[in-house]
Amino acid sequence: MKILLFSTVMFLSVALGLEAGEVVVTASADRNSAKVSDEIHLTIRIEGAQGSLQAPRLPGFDGFDTFYTGRSSQISFVNGRSSSSVEFSYVLVPQKPGRFTLKGIEVQVEGRAYTTGPINLEIVEDANQVSRTQTQTASYTSASTGSSQQTIQEPEPVFAPGDENIFVKATVDKTTIFPNEQVLLTYSLYTRYDTRYEGFEEEPGVSGFWIEEFPPEREVKRETVRVGGMRYVKAEIKKLALFPTTAADYTISPGKIKVSIRQEPRATSIFDEFFNDSFFTGGGFFARRENRLLEPPPIALKVVPFPSRGKPEDFKGTVGNFRMSASIDKATVKQDEPVTMTLVIEGEGNIETLHKPDIPELDEFKVYDADTASNLYKSGDVIAGKKTFEVVFIPVKAGNIRIPKLSFSYFNPRLETYQTLYTPEFVLNVTPSETKFKLPVALSEKDEFKKQIKVEGRDIHYIRERMPPRDINVFYRGAIQGILFANILLTLLLGVGLFRDHQERLYARDNALRRRRRAKAFAESRMRRLKSLMHSKDPEKSNRYFDEIGKILTQYLADKFGLSVHGMTEYDLERTLTDTFGSEDPLSKEILELHQICEESRFAKAQVSESLKQRAMKILRETIQRVEKTRR
Amino acid sequence: MKSCLNFKKVVLGGVVMMLVMQAGFVWAAEAMSSFDEANQSYRDGNYEEAARLYTRTLEENPDSGNLYYNLGNAYFRLNKLGLAILNYEKALHRSPRDADIRYNLNYARGLLEYKVEDKRNWYMKAVEAFLQYFRWEEVILGTLISYLLVVGSWVFVLFFANGLPWGWGRKALIVLFLISLIFLGAKNIERNMMRDAIVLEKNVSVHYGPSSADQVAFQMGEGLKVYVMDRREKWSRILLASGESGWVPSSQISEVVG
Repeated sequence: MKILLFSTVMFLSVALGLEAGEVVVTASADRNSAKVSDEIHLTIRIEGAQGSLQAPRLPGFDGFDTFYTGRSSQISFVNGRSSSSVEFSYVLVPQKPGRFTLKGIEVQVEGRAYTTGPINLEIVEDANQVSRTQTQTASYTSASTGSSQQTIQEPEPVFAPGDENIFVKATVDKTTIFPNEQVLLTYSLYTRYDTRYEGFEEEPGVSGFWIEEFPPEREVKRETVRVGGMRYVKAEIKKLALFPTTAADYTISPGKIKVSIRQEPRATSIFDEFFNDSFFTGGGFFARRENRLLEPPPIALKVVPFPSRGKPEDFKGTVGNFRMSASIDKATVKQDEPVTMTLVIEGEGNIETLHKPDIPELDEFKVYDADTASNLYKSGDVIAGKKTFEVVFIPVKAGNIRIPKLSFSYFNPRLETYQTLYTPEFVLNVTPSETKFKLPVALSEKDEFKKQIKVEGRDIHYIRERMPPRDINVFYRGAIQGILFANILLTLLLGVGLFRDHQERLYARDNALRRRRRAKAFAESRMRRLKSLMHSKDPEKSNRYFDEIGKILTQYLADKFGLSVHGMTEYDLERTLTDTFGSEDPLSKEILELHQICEESRFAKAQVSESLKQRAMKILRETIQRVEKTRR
Repeated sequence: MKSCLNFKKVVLGGVVMMLVMQAGFVWAAEAMSSFDEANQSYRDGNYEEAARLYTRTLEENPDSGNLYYNLGNAYFRLNKLGLAILNYEKALHRSPRDADIRYNLNYARGLLEYKVEDKRNWYMKAVEAFLQYFRWEEVILGTLISYLLVVGSWVFVLFFANGLPWGWGRKALIVLFLISLIFLGAKNIERNMMRDAIVLEKNVSVHYGPSSADQVAFQMGEGLKVYVMDRREKWSRILLASGESGWVPSSQISEVVG
């Protein structure tokens, strides 16, 4: 039981893990061995990716020409499990025999790089090309295995525009076309030499065009022609299908073609030799060969805009000649069960630009795009293809419900008219159902199943239906006033604090200054405490009164003059006062007198008169005032 | 005797306060009913009446962003773009972060016949955009609060700890205060010196001088935002964001603040 449970959990984990979007990238070839110039179909498959994917760029495979032929995508959900995959198709055309290992192809998915596994290919010689292979191995000083890895120092190609014995013409089948209409660019080589085509030294400048290259023929078509009285061998060496993206006047620079020729043209037998040999070989082992660059003249192309008259509303720029078919997988269905419509559009034209026909908003259905596959092929000199769209319709109501006709419009350049194709109208018999269909969570989270919000129109936002309370403005005013008041208070406090701090620093450096500055306040605070003693008739209190007066005077003068309080005698006091005020100063005499009074009264047993007490206080006050003026 | 007098004062004070509050309630109730009436007129499609009622309510409640917003909507429905934009701007001054006001203002501007290319430097535009997100009162409040923090921390340390406060925290507060001062200065310039105004007339001729006899420099349309640089009698010197300037009759524009 436990094992079963564990297995189930593991299975579900794997399934859910896959459902949660594990990306798997693989590459495969339809065969591992082929002959030179055969076609090998390479497929890169990406599973579990979300969002849009760019076609991976193949690295240059030495010995192969590569062509991208299309992509297909598939999303399916069955019984709550979903899977999605996208396949990119390529054609590889081997150019030489040998054993090759195509290294892993790097594919970017959702910001991460994935690398496919290597693919081993074995390319054998073409029987018809044995003589060429032998010639090649004889021409190259390399190992007998005929390895193509030897690096040969080739002489620089010679550009000889004046040589009328060899030239290349680049021609287009039409000079005035519509946007997205195919124009065939053909390179024809005219030569009177023993010539070998080496490829493009400089690719053609075709910006503004979508390009499809035709793979080279196994047997190059050639014919003898007369041009200007001279006989040439004419061979078509390359064809490109170009699709202009916008209406404009274009000038196509065809690029530069590299060929190698035998040094001197032969007058008569050259043509026989060319009839017998492949065009891509030439000369024996001892022939002296020269590389040449041939540059055809530029080509003017006029792309005219589509005619505005008769343009259908759903026309999106597709050009060609197409046919469309549509089918649904079932006509009777339960409510909330999916019905899949398959739309196929096939024909000549740039199939990659085909869009799915617009589906109007349908109240009776929920509509989802499920699958898109495109397949490109060449039909003669025309690019053609087929694009398949799968659309899921989920009826939300019961009854006989119609999927309306869908239209697809394109422009036929041959007829120079717009054509509109229609799918048939489908009638579904929808029976009521109690169970509600729900998209699996993994799919419902995928962007492709989500509808875009479309703004139908714009207008101003509605009025406010409630007045905000006035408190907010009252709050601002109150807060500003309150904080302003607090700031004023704090500023004053700061001033006081700074002043106090400054004083403390001064006093810390000069204690005598502290004593001098605080002497008066200290004396006055002690004097205030004497009031009760002044009016007392108790002799003891009187004694204390004078005692205090004496101490206040002594303390004050000690602070002011920087003297020690302890043990200050009358002599010390007299000397200090004499030094400050002079011996004849009346205040000096009064202070001395006060000092004497205090000394005597301290020990007097009889009651001291109030007038004496007041006199003592008066002298003390005057002393303080006088000293304050002279000694700060 | 004293306690008797005190009691009378308290009772009198209480009565006065109640009367004032009552008046306040009555006023508030009246303002509410005026506002509701105006809204009802708007809902009924009677935009002229709605505009009149909003304007009347604004006389007693001049600080309400909502009122200016609704008034702007009423003018918009009446196809008076200049007045609509003016009132949206006034609403924005009072509620600078209101998304509805911004949306309607931008939408109305998008319908203007004329377009003025903003050729100011990027930092000027950035500063103006930043300043517009705050009310004048908020900027003052921010400055006062940052000052309070700076001085408060200093006072606290002076009275409860020894030595002058000069740690990194207080330095940061000083920097904050200085920034808020700069902000306050910039907002003051924006508010009082670069006085923005809206063109109210459909077509306005801007002259090289403060007289209709002076040559016309260029034409402007309703709803455009201008900055009033100077005033002379009945003329105002205006500046556009594109750098163009000239004189227009003051009656053809209306300042947003004031």
